[in-house]
Amino acid sequence: MTTASARSPWYQRKQTRDIALVGCFLLPSLAVFFLYRILPLGWNAMLSFQSWSPLKAAKWIGLENYEEMLLDDDVFWDALTNTLIFIGCSPIAIALALGIALLVNSDLKGAAIYRTIVFLSYPLMTVAVGIIWRWLYDVRGGFFNYVLRSTGAIDEPVKFLQSFDWALPCVIAAEFWQVLGFYMIILLTGLQSIPQHLYEAARVDGVPAHARFLRITLPLLRPSIFLCIVVGILNSFTSFDLVYVMTNGGPGHATELLITYIYKAGFGQTRFDYAAALTVVQFLLLVVLTVIANKLSGGNAGSLER
Amino acid sequence: MRRAPTWPRHAIMLAVCLLMLVPFYWVIKTSLTGENIYAWPPSIIPVNPHLFNYVDVWYLIPFPRYLLNSVIVTIMAISGNLLFNTAAGYALTKQFPGKRWIVLLLLSCMLIPFQATIIPAYLITSWLGVLNSWLGIALPMLSTIICIFIFKASFEAVPRSLIDAARVDGLSEWRIVVRILLPLSKPAIATNVILNFIWSWNAFLWPLIVVRSPDMQTLPLGLARFLSVMEDTTGALFAFVVMVLVPGLTIFLMAQKEFIRGLTSGATKG
Amino acid sequence: MQRRQLLKSTAALSAAAVLPMPAIAQSTKTITFLTWNLVHLEKHIKDWIAGFQSTRSGVTVEWVDKKGPELPVYYATQLAANTPPDVLDIQGALGLEYAAQGALMDLTPRFAAEAAVKGRYDQDYLSNWVFEGKNYMVPYYVSKTLLFWNKTRFKEAGLDKPPASFDDIMAAADKIKGGDKTGMLTLNFDWLYWPLMQMNGVELLSKDLKTATFKTAKAEEVLAKLAAATKSGAINPISWTGRWVEPNEAFATGNVGMLQAHAPAFFWIKGKGPWINGDTLGAAQVPGNWATPNSHGLGISKGSKHPDVAWDFVKYLTDNDVGTQLARTASVLTGNKEIDKATLAKFEKDDPLAYQVLKTQVEHTDKMCGNWRLGNDSRVKDAFWPEFQSAVLGRKDPKTALADAERRVSRELRRA
Repeated sequence: MTTASARSPWYQRKQTRDIALVGCFLLPSLAVFFLYRILPLGWNAMLSFQSWSPLKAAKWIGLENYEEMLLDDDVFWDALTNTLIFIGCSPIAIALALGIALLVNSDLKGAAIYRTIVFLSYPLMTVAVGIIWRWLYDVRGGFFNYVLRSTGAIDEPVKFLQSFDWALPCVIAAEFWQVLGFYMIILLTGLQSIPQHLYEAARVDGVPAHARFLRITLPLLRPSIFLCIVVGILNSFTSFDLVYVMTNGGPGHATELLITYIYKAGFGQTRFDYAAALTVVQFLLLVVLTVIANKLSGGNAGSLER
Repeated sequence: MRRAPTWPRHAIMLAVCLLMLVPFYWVIKTSLTGENIYAWPPSIIPVNPHLFNYVDVWYLIPFPRYLLNSVIVTIMAISGNLLFNTAAGYALTKQFPGKRWIVLLLLSCMLIPFQATIIPAYLITSWLGVLNSWLGIALPMLSTIICIFIFKASFEAVPRSLIDAARVDGLSEWRIVVRILLPLSKPAIATNVILNFIWSWNAFLWPLIVVRSPDMQTLPLGLARFLSVMEDTTGALFAFVVMVLVPGLTIFLMAQKEFIRGLTSGATKG
Repeated sequence: MQRRQLLKSTAALSAAAVLPMPAIAQSTKTITFLTWNLVHLEKHIKDWIAGFQSTRSGVTVEWVDKKGPELPVYYATQLAANTPPDVLDIQGALGLEYAAQGALMDLTPRFAAEAAVKGRYDQDYLSNWVFEGKNYMVPYYVSKTLLFWNKTRFKEAGLDKPPASFDDIMAAADKIKGGDKTGMLTLNFDWLYWPLMQMNGVELLSKDLKTATFKTAKAEEVLAKLAAATKSGAINPISWTGRWVEPNEAFATGNVGMLQAHAPAFFWIKGKGPWINGDTLGAAQVPGNWATPNSHGLGISKGSKHPDVAWDFVKYLTDNDVGTQLARTASVLTGNKEIDKATLAKFEKDDPLAYQVLKTQVEHTDKMCGNWRLGNDSRVKDAFWPEFQSAVLGRKDPKTALADAERRVSRELRRA
């Protein structure tokens, strides 16, 4: 190994080889992300300023797609509102999950079993979840109508998924059911990383339980809560499967989300250009919401970068 | 100090678990029911239980074909992820110029939900000429950013001295990963396998667009198609649902300990 | 692109080297046939395809069936991938939209060259798919709306014949309602409710299809009547919220007086309602003989690589032989005059009630409404329907709803 000196050619130097190695190791993943994240994002942005379909050549039309969307398209506003409601409801699920996590995070006997059961719905296929909940809401054979009618709470069966008022809450409830366990696990991790001595010290000082929760638990849980909120925001984008199966956006557009509308505009009406503009808006919304969530949780999302 | 009694907590948790399990029960019950599933009032226990619905499914649809497609796509996705994420995760434990930028790039990519890029993604896949193929379905799922970070965190937790010792022994970089790091990263591997299993096994929107011919459909597509073909719902639909869910739940229950450990050690710390 | 071609040619070369008979590989022409909701005819379609292939050497037909909302999505993806299915079976106005987008082949020259083929079809049904003076589709199986009336419910209410005007319908519905009974139901997708407007003289668009003309006092009055009837229970609200299964199912229970639907609904409700026979169910024209078509046609993609084979296949599927088999197995009319005559004659003998229903489909074909030759029908529909729906469900007052609808429809017309 006498040749390994400063005078050796560049391609034999250790640093070069290290970089080459790092490059080779990173390349496959980066290629996938380039092809399916970065390139599409840029392409989408470009497409949104064009008039294009598989049958006609692309033409620059400036902001026309955006103009139509923001000024004329009522369905877009419905979809945006529903998406925001969808996201806005996720704190409820997070709060529920926090409650469960607090109960399970103790010396409670059988906590592991409870944890498994609560988590059990997360790995399920969302299409199947949609079908299961459609059936639970069914007018005739559904569980909810059965319970409500047999307890005498209602006389007439409720058409949950056909009702303009009920459809969206019903879809959100199904979404809660699936994602609750995931929130719980995230929060549980956060709880377990809180040093026990803080609580002991507080107890010695006579701090009551609710104050311990507010002053110790909540502040230290911030990163986990932030992660939950991001998951909640992302779910409004990934809940396509659920909406597609349960209501397909109906009745009317009562359960239309941006992602289902993008799908309908792009692939249903062959308006890829317009759908691209919708996608851009959806993406900006995601970024803005994430930044806000980060600010609210104390700006420590950077902990991810550590 | 006296502790509060535990039974109220048990009571609450039992109620929660009951609520969480009702949907499972209702669908299993329906799939086993022998009589008209719309009979009022619906019975709590299956009336005249039998497995006809399951037999029906077997004859009504090419279940083995769907299963095969799903299994192949899932295996491709999981192996791709294990290979690529391990490599990328290891690369990120090293110092190299521009690392900051790469990490930043990956973190911002994490913010781009794949669902939001389907239109160009479809056009790109079409250009690559792999539409309507297993590879075409699996391609976007071959690497996952969050899993790269899970591996990175797990590798960083391995004592440096171990790696240096291996290097002195003349092990190549790849061998170091395979022989030293991976055996010490079982929770990370489990998390990778399970997360990618969940994501690729359940993937719906992407296959819905990419798949052209009926014999390339995966289980979720088959399920959605079955739902729309049987306009009037039958018990067979729910038998199909159960059949689709069983493999996923089995794998999850088998590996859940490792999985939850891996998820909790990786996802929030990264 | 080049890389893909290279791959393809390499693959072709190696295939040619391996195949013992490269000549056949070269001459094989494969076309794709895309159908909409015909999966229940699988056995027959496969037979027909086999029949076609056996008489034409070197031709292969690949069959793909898609369900309801999946078909447009599928077609869009295939257009984007530049592999459009050659022959496609699509419903109603979608054909016009595809024609307007330039996806379909203009069939006018083919018809001009083969007058006998053009002469097969009912010209009114054929003209459903004339866009800007050109033929784009061939009728495959056709239907239009009619009024089913439940004779038992009518008798109970002291009525003995189907209504003859819009006000008659409203009055009859009002008399029938009560308890768990409602007077009337209509299907609402694809403009199927439009005869209710048309019989009141309400026109959606001007003759040149450029202006919205429906914001009139009459239209307001009609909407107000429909809303009042919906509120009182004379009209079942499923009319405005359901699609296909729900309204038909409700009518099949026997508790509803009238159902405005197209002919295929008959076979559906008959399967669900054991009460249905010639004494209990009547089939009539809607007042004014208005009806909205809901027909399927066959078109050929402009991007087809084998347009001659595709045209040959379209002719084969709609000729007297194969067309009759379709009519028999699916109990449909085909728009092919000779076939439909034979089908009706057969039904008259075997199933008089079905005959009553199907007969309405070939009568008054000049009175078809709700099928404007628009290139953006679905968007006009999406602009109009939600407002109409809000008005009849009482969520908006008719005047505001019509004004909003006019604003939205005009916008779509401007943009087209």
